[in-house]
Amino acid sequence: METLVNGFKTNRAFAVTSLLVLLLLAIALAAPIISPFDPTHAEMKDAFLEPSMTHLFGTDKLGRDCFSRVLYGARASLTGVLVLVASVFLVGTTMGVLSGYFGGKVDIIIMRFSDMMISFPGMILAIAIAGIMGGSLVNAVIALTIVSWTKYARLARSMVLKVKRRDYVEAAIVNGGTSPHILWVHILPNILPMMVITAAADIGALMMELAGLSFLGFGSQPPAPEWGLMLNEGRQQLQTAPWLMIFPGLAIFVTVVIFNLWGDNLRDVLDPRNDVKD
Amino acid sequence: MKKLFKISAAAAMIGVLALAASGCGGGSSKKANVTNEMVKFGVTNFADNLDPADNFFSWVVMRYGLGECLVKFDNKMNATPWLADKWSISDDKLTWTFHINDKVKFSNGDKLTAEIAKESLERTFKLSNRAQSVFQYSEIKADGQNLIIKTKNPTPSLPGMLADPLFIIIDTKVKDRDIKKEGPICTGPYAVKTYSKAKAVMVANPNYWDGAVPFKNAEIPTIDDPNTRAMALQKGEIDFAINIAAGDLQLFKDKAKYNISEIASLRTVLAQINMNEGKPLHDPKVRAALIQCLDRVTYNKVLLKDTFIPGKAPVPPSLDYGFDQLKDPNAYNPENAKKLLAEAGWKDTNGDGYVDKNGKNLEIDFVFYSGRAELPLYAEATQADAKKIGIKVNMKNVDYNVLDPMRQKGQFDLIISNILTANTGDPEVYLNWYWKSNINGSQPQNSTGYSNAKFDALSDKLAVEFDPAKRRQYMIEMQQILLDDGVALFFGYPKTNMVSKAGLVNANIYPADYYWLTKDIAPKN
Repeated sequence: METLVNGFKTNRAFAVTSLLVLLLLAIALAAPIISPFDPTHAEMKDAFLEPSMTHLFGTDKLGRDCFSRVLYGARASLTGVLVLVASVFLVGTTMGVLSGYFGGKVDIIIMRFSDMMISFPGMILAIAIAGIMGGSLVNAVIALTIVSWTKYARLARSMVLKVKRRDYVEAAIVNGGTSPHILWVHILPNILPMMVITAAADIGALMMELAGLSFLGFGSQPPAPEWGLMLNEGRQQLQTAPWLMIFPGLAIFVTVVIFNLWGDNLRDVLDPRNDVKD
Repeated sequence: MKKLFKISAAAAMIGVLALAASGCGGGSSKKANVTNEMVKFGVTNFADNLDPADNFFSWVVMRYGLGECLVKFDNKMNATPWLADKWSISDDKLTWTFHINDKVKFSNGDKLTAEIAKESLERTFKLSNRAQSVFQYSEIKADGQNLIIKTKNPTPSLPGMLADPLFIIIDTKVKDRDIKKEGPICTGPYAVKTYSKAKAVMVANPNYWDGAVPFKNAEIPTIDDPNTRAMALQKGEIDFAINIAAGDLQLFKDKAKYNISEIASLRTVLAQINMNEGKPLHDPKVRAALIQCLDRVTYNKVLLKDTFIPGKAPVPPSLDYGFDQLKDPNAYNPENAKKLLAEAGWKDTNGDGYVDKNGKNLEIDFVFYSGRAELPLYAEATQADAKKIGIKVNMKNVDYNVLDPMRQKGQFDLIISNILTANTGDPEVYLNWYWKSNINGSQPQNSTGYSNAKFDALSDKLAVEFDPAKRRQYMIEMQQILLDDGVALFFGYPKTNMVSKAGLVNANIYPADYYWLTKDIAPKN
């Protein structure tokens, strides 16, 4: 936490991108206050209106206000992606730590299972899983968790293996420390910064995958305002009502860029290797 | 050194981009004119093979200018001569005599005789279980060029039934041909060179019996996505295309460049209502409320940009079965819909925006598929409008292959359908299919629990009636019963279109869904 505050003070890029991330979150939270219209209210006589002062981003195929839908979409997309990152992070790190620390059969089982998952093309497996479970945002998050956790498991495992041979861990073992205690106090804190950095840098990529699943119809279902889904709905009017694709697309683009930059800067701030220089 | 590296990297990058860009261009030599060498036709296609007796693949055999039937529908769905040049019926109403046109030859030069026509029909009955449900014969005989069909029951619309692509006539003398892969030998203007689901290559039939074939070659790529099809036509990769989507039609308004042939089809988009005991829509008042809350005129005029005609009755106005005289008791009236719900005891007591009774919200499942662009739109519009009067509609988007079993098992409250209402020339079969009482599985498509003795009585009278005026009157009365009972949501009637480059003539669409690449489509001049 201290490093974060320090980074905020000294690293300007980190400060700026952090503010932008907060701004995004604020927009998502304040969507009901900022939005001029109910995002699901259909005024069908006003379908396909071009962007104007009343409808900043135009209206969609059912006459719903696109601006309000993009704002509300931030809620669905951000909540979805944050939950996804959190679950991938939790599942992956836990598996990796267990596998690395206990070794032996536990290691073999977990790692061979993860090899199995890796040998499938990720997105296609996710589509299959989401397809079987039925389309919904929750199922899309579960499907992507199932295909993405392996990366974190491998990373966590390799770092645990490194940390495990350090003297202080050996000392803790000699002193009769229990496994949960050693894991919690000596190992986890040492691998956590690297894991957090990886997770933060992944937010953008996972957001694209989540939007991709929604675009293909395996994520959010109509009439929910979600950016990937909105892109798919706008696709049919690409030539006649391009604003239906431009604005949700822009929203995804901006959000992904902000999260990627933030993730990069977070790495600069948190990376333990930076400590050596000080 | 480092600088040199940077410069060469940049140059390589530009090179790669240029290559990518030229790849996108893809030799788009825009040919405005079409010559008689080649025509390219962008279509949607569902046929894995070209056996007319398999599934509904006969439709594709006919659409691609390969197969022809004894009888053809004209613009008004009257049965007119095709391979048979005339026909008559005996006094006992059971024996039909079709005279086969003497000129007709197959693409391999064989002459079409009544014997071949007989064998071809028998083959269809042997291989397709659907044939039995169209009509049943006791005997087919060949006598020179006369084909004599004896039916088991009086079958007033037999000529129209024989116009169904299922009864395409193929050369049964040819035994050593893989019909599924190479396609059958038929009498149409084009013959198959190669066929796959993705692309068909056709050549002119050198022995065509009905005039000269306008093109030496025809390529028919399958482009199932409507937007891609429109773009292919804009770019000139194809010369004409079937069914440009509602939103894209305006891209082709320039008459100097394109012809649009548009027609009200014989299709109806509707949702059957499950009114079995215990289902929320069992109550006629709730059904009426649901139908009345839907602003179907706006769906079709605005959302679908006038490419659909607003729905009202089971049979579309393109067929003359009293569309204008039928009275819809459930025309758009959201205020009355709310009143009806209240009368039926549904009120929003917990303030969540949905009406409830005994602590349960009024929720219904709408089962649909998205293979046709308008279906999800109707479903979403229904959801939005129903919400305004407090009915919660849950969307169930399923694969088309799952939909029909769900329909037959009654696993739905509303289930979508885009159906050809006059496959055999009139809507008799269609009306029976969906709404005649289902007694021990006699009408497997009607699992809605709907049964009306008056409707069934009319249907039985219709089955043996030969007088066209009386048949029409029966079908009008049957439709009025359905409207009064509030049996379905009739959303709208699609217009279908064919858009062609100005360099083509006679690329016209017909009400029957299977006359696409005809002998009349030709280069201008």
